[in-house]
Amino acid sequence: MRNLDYLEPESLDEALRMLADYGDEAAVFAGGTALLLAMRQRMLAPGIVVALGGLSALRGIGYTPEAGLRIGALSRHSEIARADIVREHYPVLAKVAAGLANPQVRNQGTIGGNLCYGDPATDPPSVLVALDAELEIAGRSGTRRVAMADFLVDYFTTALEPGEILTAIHLPPVTPGRVGHYKRHLRTPAEHRPVANVALTLTERGGLWDDVRLVIGAATPVAQSMARAAAALTGQAITLDLAAEAARIAAEDLTPVSDARGSAAFRRQVVRATVRRIVAEAAGLDWSEAAA
Amino acid sequence: METSAIGQARPQINAREKVLGRARYAGDLKLAGMLHARLLRAPHAHARIVSVDTSAARALAGVRAVATGADVPDRRWGVGHKQQHVLARGVVRFVGEEVAAVVAETPEIAEEALDLIRVEYEELAPLLDPALSLDPGVPQVHEGGNLSEEINIDRGDVDAAFAGADLIHEETYTTHSQYPGYMEPMATLAEVDGAGRLNVWTSTQSVFLARQRLAEALDRPISSIRVIQPTVGGGFGGKIIEERSSVIAAFLATLVDRPVRLGLSRLDDILSGCFSVPATIRLKMGMTRDGTIVAKEVDILADCGAYAGLAGEVMTVTAMRSDNMQRIRNIRTRARLVYTHTMPRGAFRGFGGAQMSFALNSHMATMAEMLGLDVIELHRKNAIGPGETSVHDWKIGSCELPACLDQVSEAIGWGEKRSRAKAGGVLRRGVGMAAAMHVSGNRTIGNWDGSTILLKVNEDGRAVVHTGESDMGQGAFTMLAQICAETLGIPVAHVTVAAPDTDNSPYCIGTLASRVTINGGMAMVKAAEEARATILAAAAAKLGCDAEDLALVDGVIRSADGAHTAPLAEICRYHIYRHGGEGIYVKGSHDPQTVRFDGDFRGNIAPAYSFAAQAVEVEVDTETGQVRLVETYLSDDCGVAINPLAVHGQSNGAAVQALGWTLYEELHFEGGRVINGNLADYTMATADAVPMMHSMIVEGYEPNGPLGAKGASETAILPGAAAIANAVYDAIGVRITDLPITPEKILAGLAELEEASLA
Ligand SMILES: Cc1cc2nc3c(=O)[nH]c(=O)nc-3n(C[C@H](O)[C@H](O)[C@H](O)COP(=O)(O)OP(=O)(O)OC[C@H]3O[C@@H](n4cnc5c(N)ncnc54)[C@H](O)[C@@H]3O)c2cc1C
Repeated sequence: MRNLDYLEPESLDEALRMLADYGDEAAVFAGGTALLLAMRQRMLAPGIVVALGGLSALRGIGYTPEAGLRIGALSRHSEIARADIVREHYPVLAKVAAGLANPQVRNQGTIGGNLCYGDPATDPPSVLVALDAELEIAGRSGTRRVAMADFLVDYFTTALEPGEILTAIHLPPVTPGRVGHYKRHLRTPAEHRPVANVALTLTERGGLWDDVRLVIGAATPVAQSMARAAAALTGQAITLDLAAEAARIAAEDLTPVSDARGSAAFRRQVVRATVRRIVAEAAGLDWSEAAA
Repeated sequence: METSAIGQARPQINAREKVLGRARYAGDLKLAGMLHARLLRAPHAHARIVSVDTSAARALAGVRAVATGADVPDRRWGVGHKQQHVLARGVVRFVGEEVAAVVAETPEIAEEALDLIRVEYEELAPLLDPALSLDPGVPQVHEGGNLSEEINIDRGDVDAAFAGADLIHEETYTTHSQYPGYMEPMATLAEVDGAGRLNVWTSTQSVFLARQRLAEALDRPISSIRVIQPTVGGGFGGKIIEERSSVIAAFLATLVDRPVRLGLSRLDDILSGCFSVPATIRLKMGMTRDGTIVAKEVDILADCGAYAGLAGEVMTVTAMRSDNMQRIRNIRTRARLVYTHTMPRGAFRGFGGAQMSFALNSHMATMAEMLGLDVIELHRKNAIGPGETSVHDWKIGSCELPACLDQVSEAIGWGEKRSRAKAGGVLRRGVGMAAAMHVSGNRTIGNWDGSTILLKVNEDGRAVVHTGESDMGQGAFTMLAQICAETLGIPVAHVTVAAPDTDNSPYCIGTLASRVTINGGMAMVKAAEEARATILAAAAAKLGCDAEDLALVDGVIRSADGAHTAPLAEICRYHIYRHGGEGIYVKGSHDPQTVRFDGDFRGNIAPAYSFAAQAVEVEVDTETGQVRLVETYLSDDCGVAINPLAVHGQSNGAAVQALGWTLYEELHFEGGRVINGNLADYTMATADAVPMMHSMIVEGYEPNGPLGAKGASETAILPGAAAIANAVYDAIGVRITDLPITPEKILAGLAELEEASLA
């Protein structure tokens, strides 16, 4: 690793100014779990590192009935997993944070770093899309809000403009009856990163599902919403057959990535299995008896 | 002593310093004025080095030396084949080969200087696929062709035996290369001292083999080199004599007048490659209806990568070791070792045994099914027994293989699980087993396999053991301390084992071939017995009685009738005073009654042989292809377990390593370049990826071993892969013959079954 300057701004303004001053040469440093690996493997070689640790504006997790949940970008995965507010209002998000990676990464990595790096082989993006999250982004000219689905542009590419800092993640106030489910699949038990994951949110009305969102992560360059599969599940009695049908549709509509962790065909197969399972489990059905 | 020092589960004597962070590894060591080295590696699998321009690197402030192949000794080093220069000269033969090295004031400067070295390569066509290596017209890795070694073994009358067989089965199995994955990447500190001697602290399994290799590679007298072993964080075969970084570090120390440390990062350690030998094995076996193996034909193609190293020896083990486990007389084997333009492969825990164990045990399970027999019965039927001589003239001493089979089958509930109805669901379970044998010792490095212990008993009655055998984490020092304590009659806590040091330790081969407990342990028994005799003779003189009447127990000398007694310390001091100041300083040497292979690979190479069996249950996810190990029971026949805790640790660790090889780990190459050379993408098992590991010990008694013991640990890595593959077959009817067992292969196998059932 090269010599580099390590800057510790004390306010968001100061941090933004530094990023403006140094341009391409600077990189933002949150928990460092992704950045340092990239530097060690020489994929990134910043001359200046702007550490966000001192920015209190990026910390904290809070909930109000009017504004919903706000998670500061510097929140570590383990903080999100443990936060009572998250567990009460968005238990599925707490579950995602508690189950990703390994204890070391959860205790050091931040949600902001996770999202800004744009690595597809991660957990939070799909569930955040399914929960209608919005990202709060600060730049020299002010703050903007971007829907999670729009933030994810492509493989390792986000809507973050040069010099911008992600400050918080917002989730809307909880609607009664709305529930979330999440399932990740590891290629082998020794992997830490998912090869595919599925987030499912829905509102139950009279035993039927409404407002269904089905989002695939990790198997795709960016989290992909499965509208056709979600539609198939809307307003219908959920049976194993229907779960299998929705899974088939999702697999068909998938835009899979293909890499060393899994070929496109393999990703499709895993997505199909995982969708069927999450739908069945959400409906209290046992999927293990019969295959899709 | 209240309890014997033997057979008690006790923590390693060096565990405390490790968990406290006080143990010193080579990478922790610092000497005044120490410099740091970094290596430049080849980006091509095969290329001619046209020119190397180091001027900019040399000009960088803080750089002390830059070396290339032009600077290193002309003499080539190697195990059997002398093929390597300290740094690549003229040609690079694999991605990652060391082309240049920088020594600088700081690691950062050294790293920066690497970027300033300009190497011009002329890329040449590489040979990457071992299956093509012997075809005409393919690129040559070395002059003289791509065939490194060939072995042919012919026993009995194979053709006649096949003609008389009721069942013949033939299959080809492929195995892949595994990274030893020790916790401590290679690290070396080297200096030339004021007297001109080269002192080297390095992470090694053998200080004396390290010294010999340095003498050869640096072309200097053996005695001008001193190798000292710091704490070693695992070796698994990778730190015997094939790794290259210690050689480079020692060479760099000769270029500057300051100490040089070279510690590899994990990425560097993987690139510098001490991976196991991948082999393709065609196996044909004939049996009679009752399951007796009558004939075997084997054809092996093994890939040693760019340099042969120990791979030839490894292949020999693949070719013939498992033959000795069974009562078989008719065998025809051909094994060929070939070069490719890939990282060198070589020694790895099990030393080639795991490759053939996968093939043999997969084959046994398949043939058992064809004959309608239980595979455990098939193993039992063919198992060699104590007192027998095998087809290659190995003399089997203790052998508890049948007891190992009983133990694992009972523990897992074999009969019940095998006979349960096959469920049709998404998640399907199956059980599988495998059995294996390994050597304890091996007369292969010259015509000896001996070990020597120097034992000092100090004036306070406590002992210091000097040995050249190394403890790389497996527990050798604790074993020696236990045997010393037991034989001498003092508490284990009163024994210190000194770190191996070529200037001060007796000459020893080092830790390989599961030889240290059996041979080092025997030397320890002899040394301790001699020390005790010396002590009792001195005591008899002092106390005025017969030495035969005296015993030394728990640090106290006592006559049988209790009339005479003296603390050991008093007698040790007495000995010093009465012998002109000579303390109690004895040596014990032991060379087992074994022979080297003759030209036809016959001969009893080891004083004892260890056996193991393993039974596992897996769950296969038929939709995602994921295989999960549910349960594993491994039974090791290691003779008397001197330290059951250490045996369990070794067995469980071996079973996990086998699990990783079978299901989790896989190197991915792109044009000869490893593309997943980091531990995030080359996924070794972590604690959450293994089930509860059950290790069991069948205690036999090995007459040739110290206090009845023989080797443990390597045997335990051998059965895992086949046990898992057999369990997968039991679960879903898909027979995987090429490792690793990936989700894709499972899904493809299931799809094929379905197609066949529809056809
Ligand atoms: C071994 C391993 C396993 C993993 N497994 C998983 C897994 O299973 N699931 C999963 O979801 N993730 C996984 N990850 C990824 C992990 O979640 C991320 O590395 C982590 O969350 C990144 O956060 P960080 O704070 O360390 O980011 P950093 O490394 O500090 O930064 C990452 C990137 O984001 C930028 N950045 C960071 N914060 C901001 C900000 N506020 N505004 C603008 N840009 C910013 C940085 O400039 C950098 O480019 C794994 C990582 C590792 C190393």
